[in-house]
Parts: sequence; structure tokens; C-alpha cells
Amino acid sequence: MSASLDKLLANPRVWRGRDQAGCRAGLASGYSELDRHLPGGGWPPDALTEILTGHYGIGELRLLMPALARLSTTAPQHDFAEPGWIAWIAPPFQPYPPALQQCGLDLSRMLIVRPEGADEVLWSAEQALTSGTCAAVLLWPEALDDQAGRRLQLAAEKGRSWAIAFRPPSARRQPSAAALRLELQTNAEGTRVHILKSRGGRPAVIDKLL
Amino acid sequence: MAVSAERLWFCAWLPKLPLEAVQGGVTPAAVVEEQHGVHRILLADAAATAAGVMPGQAANAARALLPDLQFEERSPLHEQQALEGLASWLERFSSFVAITGHDVLLLEIAGSLRLFGGLRELRQNIVRDLSGLGFTVSPAIAPTPLAATWLARSGRRACIRDISNLAPAIRRLPLACLGWPPGVCSALAGMGVATVGDCLRLPREGFTRRFGARCLLDLDRALGHLPDPRNAWRAPECFGADYEMTEEQSDRELLLNICQELLQAHERFLLARQLGAQRLCFVFFHLDGPATELRLGCARPQRSAGRWFELLGIRFDKLALPGPVIAVRLQGGMAQPLQAGSGELIFHGRPGAMPQRFSITQLAERLVARIGDQSVQSTSMVAEHRPQYAWRSHSVLADWSSSTRDEAPPYLQRPLWMLPEPAPLTMHDGHPVHQGRRLQLLDGPERLETGWWDEDGIVRDYYTARNRDGRRLWVFRNRRRASSWYLHGYFG
Repeated sequence: MSASLDKLLANPRVWRGRDQAGCRAGLASGYSELDRHLPGGGWPPDALTEILTGHYGIGELRLLMPALARLSTTAPQHDFAEPGWIAWIAPPFQPYPPALQQCGLDLSRMLIVRPEGADEVLWSAEQALTSGTCAAVLLWPEALDDQAGRRLQLAAEKGRSWAIAFRPPSARRQPSAAALRLELQTNAEGTRVHILKSRGGRPAVIDKLL
Repeated sequence: MAVSAERLWFCAWLPKLPLEAVQGGVTPAAVVEEQHGVHRILLADAAATAAGVMPGQAANAARALLPDLQFEERSPLHEQQALEGLASWLERFSSFVAITGHDVLLLEIAGSLRLFGGLRELRQNIVRDLSGLGFTVSPAIAPTPLAATWLARSGRRACIRDISNLAPAIRRLPLACLGWPPGVCSALAGMGVATVGDCLRLPREGFTRRFGARCLLDLDRALGHLPDPRNAWRAPECFGADYEMTEEQSDRELLLNICQELLQAHERFLLARQLGAQRLCFVFFHLDGPATELRLGCARPQRSAGRWFELLGIRFDKLALPGPVIAVRLQGGMAQPLQAGSGELIFHGRPGAMPQRFSITQLAERLVARIGDQSVQSTSMVAEHRPQYAWRSHSVLADWSSSTRDEAPPYLQRPLWMLPEPAPLTMHDGHPVHQGRRLQLLDGPERLETGWWDEDGIVRDYYTARNRDGRRLWVFRNRRRASSWYLHGYFG
């Protein structure tokens, strides 16, 4: 039964809603269950991803590490260029180099920027995204209104970079231009990833991912 | 001893330098000099000459001819500055530029001929550049510096490459272009000696006795019979330039334009020396109150005015000027050799990125320009057991390649977030408490007892802990003090 269903779905005449966005292959997250729920089979490239979390220390970075490690060590295809840089803008604490290295990140490709003031955070993020040299830009904005979110999304498209904004859970009610919004929640069993919005995909809840 | 044949000198005589150094674009204009208590015309521009103003005329007579004639006092200081400016400009054509007297520039060009595509090309380039900078130039080329100078002063656009052709050309020159003292010239004229050739026909001993050894030495040097060593002009290696305004200005657009002009002068200065600068400082002077400073830095020695202007633009937006500005100074930092191959860092970004993309160096420079050097950092590992010393951060404008290749042992549990300082945890029944709830210790202890050799030794047991929210924390117990627990990081 399932074999014939697969065959049917492989037929090009069958239209499937979630492929409609014509999305490009995503950046494999390294978590197969998450990849299954994301259109393109991974993090949306050249777009803004929002991660809503109330706490630090629940695996919010570990979720990104496999993808970041690959970005920092492998050059993009069809290009002789070097691997991209990873910019951290206004991180709440010090990203700890020994742990980053254990996760496979190339430390010599990290740029840690600590601007003062909400405007400067957004300005720096925009600069890094549009520069075309940063493969990923992680930012912790104090506030991110609809317009600023849209600017980041545009900057990510323009510089072909991956923007990841960490925001508090209260941002859930705000509209957002992000291609992907996740909320991380913890309980006794581990961290649950809730896909709130996924361009070209569907909302989903993944339990015990981390 | 003859001068070696492969030397070739280009001389640029600037006959109108006293006028051109002070003329502010107003015409008709004339430079006056006080002689015996009377202001007399030294030089007049074309419009004034056409109206009949002549050198040597009294200023009042000239004013009668041309009521709106603009008089400028002669300024040896401005002339010297103009000469130095031109000399620094000419250093792009030759590594040897000399300033002779108060209106002559000499370049040794034998070594530059190939680079600039031959003598004719080179001469055209130099003359065109000098004219473009607003100076009238009378050029000449000869195998000895003195001959070149005399030929240039004669106004003949002579170009003599071969020393065997030098003597016939020099013989025809009138004594006036030799720059000898007026007494010598008039005495020679009284003897019926009018040209250099006439001088050379005089007996050498008698000539020396009457007119001094210097004149004979000049003749021998001009003809290449004796060596004529010259000192190359050396510019100060630190750039500094002022732009003074006649009245205070607060128009930021105008100020930016002035800064751009200064940056272009800075670029020319560095280009001539094949140098770059890593730091710059703009100083905006106010009539009342202290000056405002704006410092810029970049990752590698840099001279492009465009790049510096871009960095300036980022900072200038935020610069608060307490009042209108009367003058702007650009103080260049230490000039350094441009590092060869700095282009290697400028890689072409990610595929398909926008054409206006820039390198990571440029990105870092832009960020530093806006938010400061301390706020843009990169990190590297340090081989060290104490967690707080196992890494370091360095300014991105420092050498990028200095990051070490130390590796963390893969078996140790290390958190992705580290607190700047360990935070003390409260205790409850001998157990560490976080946010009012008891921590559950998952993993550990990892005992770190090290650093006894310096002031900051540690004796700690590290644990991985989980709080009620499911957050994973990195905590330690200080074994030096009974039951004291600290939070040191989060497993983000």
C-alpha cells in the first residue's frame, strides 16, 4: 500500500500543496525529524528564521550547530570561494569557543559583534547579511517590529545569507515576515520544537527533539 | 671624471609660481613685492598683462591701468608649500625628485622611461599633470641637472638625451638663465660676454680670478665634466593637511566634501610612496570651544580615498559637532608599506550574491567604524585547562591569521554559552538552587585543580545540571570554600 502511494506521489502530475513554494533545497539541520517537517528538507536558505525562546540553555544553539558547522567549514557549491563567515550579533553571553569547536565550527570564521542600542543591532545585522560574506547571521535583538523583520528578510535574500533572530515567546502574537518561525519549549522530557510558521510548509510540533 | 651617461634629468621651471601659489582664482590678478618701500608688480596674470600691467610697475600705476586688479602680496611660504606639494605629486614619476632654488623641480627620469612608455610620453604626462594642477611649466630634459635647469629657464623646450649634444645646446644660452648673481652678469655683459659659449671661450684661470670659482664649477657641472650630486627631496612620512575656511560652516554636506578632498590628497601622498595608512584622524576646529576629533581605522594599510570616505560616511552621520566648523585637519597615521597580496582576502562572497558585496575585511571595517573596535571581535582557542582562559577574543583589526589551532578535547562537556563571571548560586539543604528550585546534577564531577603557578589558581568540581524548566546549566563547586556553588554557563 505504502509503496504504491509513494509511486503515486512521485508522479509529476500529482500536485502537492507543500511543494508549491518552489522552495530550494534547505540547509540540512542535522535533525532528521525536523528536516522532515521543513519544506526543502532543511533550514530555509537566504531567509529569516525566527526562534522564540524564553530561556537560554534549552538547546537553542545546539539546534543550529550542525548546519552552522557545515556552513563554516565547506565552501558553497559552484564557487571557488572560501566558506562563509558566521556573525553573532549581540549574543546574551559569550559563545564559548571550546564548545563551538566541539560542535565542529571553524573558529577562525566567527565574528562576534556587540553593538550598543537596538538600532545598532539591526544595522549591524543588515550590514553582515548584505555583505555577501556571511553564511549565517545570528542576532538577539531587543525588539523586532514588523518592518525591521521585513528588512532583515530582504537583506538575507539580497546577500544570500541565513538570518536567525532569537526572540522572546511574547513575539508569538506579532506578525512576522520570517520564512520560518519556531518556538522552543521545555518540559521534563526535553525540548519541544513547535513550528509556528513555515513558508511552503505546515505548522507542526516535534517533541523531545533536543 | 665624466658623469655616467645613463642619467637623464627632467627640469620643470615654474616661471609663474609666485602668482600661481597665491592666486585664488580671481582674475585679473598680480603679485606685488615691496622694493625700497614701494609695492611693485612682480608678476601679472594674462588678463592683467593684456591691459598693460607689467612686472616692475608700481602698484599704483597698475591700479590706474586696471581699477579692478586684484593684488596679492608675495608669499615665499606659499611658494614653498606649492613646490613641496608638486614634488610629492611628481614622486609618482620618479623616485628622485629634488627642489632647487625657489621655483625649480628636478626629476631623474632615466629609470622611469620604460615604465611610462618612453621619453615623449613621460614628458607629456609630467607637463600635463603640472598644468592640470594649475601651474605654468617650462620643461627641459638634459643629461646633467644644471644643464636641464638652464635650458628650462631659457624657455626652450629642449630635450637632449646624449651628452655629446649637450655642449652645442648650452653654448647658445644667454647668461640670464644661469641664475648667477646680477653683479657677475652685468660685469660679463660689460665685457661683451652674452652667452655661455662666450664664457667658455674665456681663459679658465682668469675667469676664476674675476668671477669666483663657483661660476666655473657651474659650467663644468653643466657640461658633465664634474659630478653634480643632488639631494632628493623627502616628504614627511606622516600626512597632515588642513583645510581652512574663510567663515564658519555647519553644512554637513560641505564638510563631507572637504573631507573627501583631504582624503584625495592623502591618497596622492601615499601613492607616491607606495604606502598605506591604517589609522586616520579628522579634526574639526571650532572658533569657540575645543576641536572635535573623529578617528578612523581599518584592518590593513589602505590608501584608497573611496574606501576611507566610505568609512567616514558611516561615522560622520553620528558625529555630533558642538558648533560650526572653521577648519578641518586630516592627520594621517603612520604610513606603512602596503602588504602585497592583500587582494587575496577579497574573495567573491557566496555565489550569486549581489555585485555590491564586499570582503569580510570591509565588513569588519564598516562595523568597527560605526560601533567601535572593542565591539567587533573574533575568537580563538588557547591550550589551557581553566575554562575562563581556554579562549581569547581579539580585535578583528588585528592580524586575522594569528588565530591558533589549539583544539578542545572532544570528551569534555563544555557549554555553548559562558557567563562573563561565574554567578554564585544560593544553597538549600546543601544543594545548589537556581531560580528558587533545586538543581538536579546530571553529570560530573570534572575536577579542575590547576593554575597554582599564577594568582588565579582554581580548585573546582564542574557538573552538568538541570533545573526544573529543563535548562541545562554548567555549575561548579569551589572546593576551597565549603559548599559554595557557582553557575558558569548554559548548554545552549
